[in-house]
Amino acid sequence: MTPSPLAPEPGTREPDAPRDTDNAAREASSIELLGLHKRFGKDTVALDGVDLTIRAGEFFTLLGPSGCGKTTLLRILAGLEEPDSGSLKIGGLDITDTPPHKRSVNTVFQSYALFPHLSVRDNLAFGLRMLGLPAAEREARVARIAEFIQLNDLVDRKVDQLSGGQRQRIALARALVCEPDVLLLDEPLSALDAGLRSQLQVELLRVQKRLGMTFVFVTHDQQEAMVMSDRIAVLDSGNIQQVGPPREVYERPVNAFVARFMGHDNLFPITRRAEGGWLTTELGDLRCDGEGAGDLLLIRPETLDLLPGEQPGENRLLATVGERLYRGSHAEYRLDIGQTSLQATVNNRGRHLPEVGERITVTVAADDLVTLGK
Amino acid sequence: MKKRTLRRGLTAIWWLILIFLYLPLAVVVLFSFNSANSAASFTGVSLRWYKRLMGNEEILSALSNSLILAIVSSAVALVIGCLIGYGMYRHRHRKLGWLIVLIYLPIVLPDIVFGISEMAFFVQIHRMTGLLQPGLGTMIIAHVTFQIPFVALIVYSRFVGLDPTLFEAAKDLYASPAQRAFHFMLPTIKPALISAFFLSFTLSVDDFVISFFTAGPDSATLPIYIWGAIKKGVSPEINAIATLMIGAVTIAAILSLLFSHRRQP
Repeated sequence: MTPSPLAPEPGTREPDAPRDTDNAAREASSIELLGLHKRFGKDTVALDGVDLTIRAGEFFTLLGPSGCGKTTLLRILAGLEEPDSGSLKIGGLDITDTPPHKRSVNTVFQSYALFPHLSVRDNLAFGLRMLGLPAAEREARVARIAEFIQLNDLVDRKVDQLSGGQRQRIALARALVCEPDVLLLDEPLSALDAGLRSQLQVELLRVQKRLGMTFVFVTHDQQEAMVMSDRIAVLDSGNIQQVGPPREVYERPVNAFVARFMGHDNLFPITRRAEGGWLTTELGDLRCDGEGAGDLLLIRPETLDLLPGEQPGENRLLATVGERLYRGSHAEYRLDIGQTSLQATVNNRGRHLPEVGERITVTVAADDLVTLGK
Repeated sequence: MKKRTLRRGLTAIWWLILIFLYLPLAVVVLFSFNSANSAASFTGVSLRWYKRLMGNEEILSALSNSLILAIVSSAVALVIGCLIGYGMYRHRHRKLGWLIVLIYLPIVLPDIVFGISEMAFFVQIHRMTGLLQPGLGTMIIAHVTFQIPFVALIVYSRFVGLDPTLFEAAKDLYASPAQRAFHFMLPTIKPALISAFFLSFTLSVDDFVISFFTAGPDSATLPIYIWGAIKKGVSPEINAIATLMIGAVTIAAILSLLFSHRRQP
């Protein structure tokens, strides 16, 4: 039996503690999805054969545009939706046919879904009450979670007296207090304004690291996904496009969809390949060190350096500054090269920032170039 | 200037409407306290008609019939209507709109048609099986039938007003189907249920036509008794009964409003 992660005892994991401790205990919360298919009606394919393994104790994010299937996948994990085929295991146990109220899984809903007929305290205790815990233990655990999420002063309020951020934290606490094997979060921060949102991102991350609980997080915001996640799965039209840590997904996207979704615009079709890693695109010839065999060349804006004037050479392109957006810490450029253009981001180190219309030279290191499939 | 004239005109109409609505009631209430025997003149305040009322076996039995009928039929309609309202909510996405129309049809039918059909139906059943002898039993069945749609509608609209995610949250928080009913749904729609009960109650107390056709010899309700008594002329006693009924229905209607308007969570 897992020691209660909310107890102040040994189970408490400090923020910096190695994440692979008490592996055996946390084994219970790994997730395996195998061949999940789900259709709505005749024509809408929500999931088109999803295979995925989520490790115990991981902060795992399902990322994609609306309609990509990420929410359906989360709802299948919660048991609120049944897959047409495929199987679902948590901790090695097949729970494909287990109804939601018998799964050790709790959800933080996008609308928070706090019960309006109950006080905050009774909302927090709802799950424990349904599980049949004695009143004394319910109260102790509610008090402990209220302390942990720092909402002691809210417990006696009514739900309609809470702000958005407070509701969000109550919804999180109501799910956590049940100490599930897996916590599911369905765009829990999307209704909040930017400031509160980043504050709660940090808080959520702190909670997850402290508890070492498996979190499955759904979002359409790639920035949020990168900040929060141990690993990200990018979904599109019911298929998983790529799974990996944030840096890998951002820096080495496997296809054009992932690259564009992660915010990359500098994608150029490769028209010819030559010995020594030479690639021809409409920008000109560039040498690429990666072994990738894809059809597209990705140039990340922040890997580019701008040199004043025309200084031709290997992996150097001559360009005219078409547009400059000055952002204080950095500047964003549109550089015109022949018929096409290239986005570049340059850190502001107090040196010369080329002006619009200026002729310049762009340089990029061969090992910063990535090729990927369509 | 024009604006003020218009406003005064509208205010006058408003008072006129109130007078037409409430003056007749006021007259009935006033004359129920009349010490004289005639409805022609008011001679002084007295409770003699109320005392007479309390001594009249027939009236007391009508009163108790009315109350039994209203309470029992409202309670039964509450249970059935609540289930139907929930069913309508649960399956609102399927093409079941015609079912809802079907349940409302009896309301829009003229009471007299509904009453006669019920009577004919009960008589047939009674002839064939010996069951459903006209009396309080048949009246309860008839009343439940016209109360159900109102209850179902109130319950349905309460459910529709809820965030559908709440149902999922209850499942997600380990509530079994029975626990969801008793710990989430019933507490959430409680104000709607109370409101529906009082509405059913007033509908039942109000009803004359359907009661008249489905009543048996010993099951006269207050409206039926009044109808019978009035053939001999309006006695001040009738005024007293009417006053009592006005009081009861007003209280029930206010309670119904209170619960439906209580800030619904």
